[in-house]
Amino acid sequence: MSTPATVFWQKNPALAWREIDDETVIISPHDSVMHELNDTGSFLWKNIDGKKSAAELAVLLVENYEVTPDIALSDTQALLEEMSSRKLVVMVPETAGVSP
Amino acid sequence: MTGTLSAAATPVMDRLISRSVEKHRPLSVHFDLTYRCNERCVHCYLDHQDHGELTTAECLKVLEDLARSGTLFLTFSGGEIFLRPDLYEILAAARRLHFDISLKTNALLVTPERAARLGEFGVRRVQISIYSDLPAVHDAITKVPGSLQRTLAAIPILLQYRLQVKLACPLMQENLMAYRGVIALAEKLGIPYILDLTITPMMDGSSGPLAHRASVSSLLPVLRDPALQACKPRPNAQPDGAVNALPPAFGSAVSSGMESPAYNDLPCSAGHNSCYISPYGDVFPCVQLPQAAGNLRREKFDDIWYHAPQLQRLRAIRESQLPICSRCEIRSYCERCPGLALMEGGNLLGAYERACALAEEKARLAGVAVPVSALHRERDTASVPTTPDAEFAFLAADSSSH
Repeated sequence: MSTPATVFWQKNPALAWREIDDETVIISPHDSVMHELNDTGSFLWKNIDGKKSAAELAVLLVENYEVTPDIALSDTQALLEEMSSRKLVVMVPETAGVSP
Repeated sequence: MTGTLSAAATPVMDRLISRSVEKHRPLSVHFDLTYRCNERCVHCYLDHQDHGELTTAECLKVLEDLARSGTLFLTFSGGEIFLRPDLYEILAAARRLHFDISLKTNALLVTPERAARLGEFGVRRVQISIYSDLPAVHDAITKVPGSLQRTLAAIPILLQYRLQVKLACPLMQENLMAYRGVIALAEKLGIPYILDLTITPMMDGSSGPLAHRASVSSLLPVLRDPALQACKPRPNAQPDGAVNALPPAFGSAVSSGMESPAYNDLPCSAGHNSCYISPYGDVFPCVQLPQAAGNLRREKFDDIWYHAPQLQRLRAIRESQLPICSRCEIRSYCERCPGLALMEGGNLLGAYERACALAEEKARLAGVAVPVSALHRERDTASVPTTPDAEFAFLAADSSSH
């Protein structure tokens, strides 16, 4: 059984979205709700590709922003959970996902 | 927290509009895929002959350019879009490029299979033209017998596939009082609607459609209808206040510009964060402002959008600097359109008779004692400037600091 560390994340394919000047706007087509990501959220969003776990995304965050690994991981997990609750991202179990 | 996520449509939209205007990002694009149509509406401003539409490959290239430039809101329209045999190929590409997709259609060709495909391609909203709830009125405008029945039959099909449907009703002489039936129809279906009092000249400037335009005096019963709030002044009605904030029931059924107080002193979104692309690849600030800024068969979208003189001139215009309208005491009742000012008054910066007369009637109905537009007041005293080029030179120079 997969653990959170081995779960990959991918964008909900039904969404419309665009990165505009380092910020990302996402629209859910069925309810027309708009969501907005700041620059670091946009960075994570760009890297959510169905092939990376929260831990792997956090490593990318550390490599590109001045943030400690612990904070990067907790923030990444928090953002993914928030986006998941809004159906912006979906989990892809390692066994069913695209090989990283 | 490092990455943050916020939601709620209006504040996000206002921030998005502010940012896109500030940096001139083409946030919203209206792309007509064809001018061919299976209706022949009496008021239509289009030439329905095919003069060489963009090919499928050219359309896909346009979409790639728009995505790269930051366009999010994409409206496909026509003519009748379902007459493009490659419509699904174009929609599939738009889906891959993550656009927020809206369609405008008469819905005559909608079937359950086609509605399902629209859903698959992530189309969010479908705007349908309806001229009346009475077949005799609607069909006389479209010149297609049975068209209302077919269009109405499409609505539940689209709703079944979770597409948002909006009715658009341009009002003209032939259907002026039909708005009540259209509103009742929309309320019965539980869907939004928009009434549009604008009938425009043809895109080549010829005035044929204007013969169907309802006179200002004939519009009085509509303007008086308390349910429509047509005579309510615009929100934040200050000399430098919000623009284009129309009463909820009214708006443009044609342009895809977004309305927001974020536009502040700008006449509208055209050329600032929105534009129009014709089936032949011409780029205009708006479908109602037919001054081509370039052609996508010869130039890249970004080269046109960021460098065309027509768009740069348009971006220099501020409502507070308009030679006549900035001095108008009833501005808050006015829905001046720069494109119509150009097409009908010959001056992008000028006032034009129709908007002034409508503003006066709306102000009068709202209780303003003697509403006189600046155009009419200054015309009476013969002080209306008559040199558009000189006016524009003043504005262009003055706006260079923006």
